[in-house]
Amino acid sequence: MSAPRVRAPITGRSLGLRVCTRCRTTMRAATGAGQRCPRCYSPVHVRRPHSLATTASLVITAALLYIPANVLPVMRTHTFFSDEDDTIMSGVISLAHSGSWPVALLVFFASIVVPLLKLIALGEILIAVTRGSVRQPQQRSRLFRLVEYVGRWSMLDVFAMSLLVALVQVQSLATVEVRPAALAFAGVVVLTMLAAQSFDERLLWDGESRD
Amino acid sequence: MSVIVCHACDLAHRLDRIAPAARVRCVRCRAELYRTSAAGVDTALALASAALVLFIIANVYPLVAFKVNGTTRLATLAGAARGLYDQGYAALGLLVIFTAVLVPLIQILAFLYLLVPVRLGWRAPGQQSLFRVLAALRPWGMSEVFVLGAIVALVKLSSEAEVAPRVALIAYGLLMFMLAAMASATPTEQFWQWISRGRR
Repeated sequence: MSAPRVRAPITGRSLGLRVCTRCRTTMRAATGAGQRCPRCYSPVHVRRPHSLATTASLVITAALLYIPANVLPVMRTHTFFSDEDDTIMSGVISLAHSGSWPVALLVFFASIVVPLLKLIALGEILIAVTRGSVRQPQQRSRLFRLVEYVGRWSMLDVFAMSLLVALVQVQSLATVEVRPAALAFAGVVVLTMLAAQSFDERLLWDGESRD
Repeated sequence: MSVIVCHACDLAHRLDRIAPAARVRCVRCRAELYRTSAAGVDTALALASAALVLFIIANVYPLVAFKVNGTTRLATLAGAARGLYDQGYAALGLLVIFTAVLVPLIQILAFLYLLVPVRLGWRAPGQQSLFRVLAALRPWGMSEVFVLGAIVALVKLSSEAEVAPRVALIAYGLLMFMLAAMASATPTEQFWQWISRGRR
């Protein structure tokens, strides 16, 4: 028996109501499986089926890819004098050395901090939900929405790389080549985005109502 | 009495207790339950048309110029994806094309397809499926990230060669604002109101 509660929050589930997560229409729960939204015809569920397992497997795969993405070179620059391999981090450092501090910080956040934050935050949320004890769901949901919002910005480096590859192709002078870790990096970005999309936010709040 | 249920935390709200406002949030999790916009169909159509023009400029003309040894290399958006493809990274090339070209294009065209008939009082077939496609694609449209990525590439090269932004990059930068304005001018609730008006 924890602290006395005035009353459990009244949820859609307890009232026999469903909400379409695509177009946000509220409707009565239908009997039988395969209910669809009357407005946009998206599938409607009390809670998205297998949400935890899907999100968890995507997060784990992304976490594994995060290692080669950061340790191995993503880009190689051939010049007249030498070949130089660049990891994500060494790219940031050389940007900082050339004096472009704001840009270096931007790339550091978008490519290194954001993916790591996403993996830690999603992992932490998954563990809390699996244990069935989500304390402070307000903060967790704020964290989740932040992760969902900033995730796309990690594509920054992939776009920058695509332009570098297209521009620096002066055979006698310098060429830029993509290295395999760039694929791992893009994989982290895409998989963590899919992980956030497959997570059913309502799971964070279910501990409050126990219905 | 009508009830709306929060899509993000499942809390039920009685609609008659909600004060009329431009934006209504869930009392528990602060998710946006609905939003209305002062913009009409005409505004949304104007934004989408402008976006289409900018999209064409952004894709036809070069994004950046790179000068070395007296010769100038130009990169277009398609060229950037092509470069990745040519080096054996087709997946990366496709990812760039999908997020920076295809998704914005589908968004603009679907928007025009759905709203031009509303303006004319017709009814376009396939509204529901198209809405679902648009909703699913929304997180994958990365025009603003692409613009910043292009700026990062320019800064990286500026220490070694002469580089300059070209007209397509400026068009793409404006496109980014148009797409954001399109999204804010048509909240989901508003969109369906327009559509159902067209159905009658």
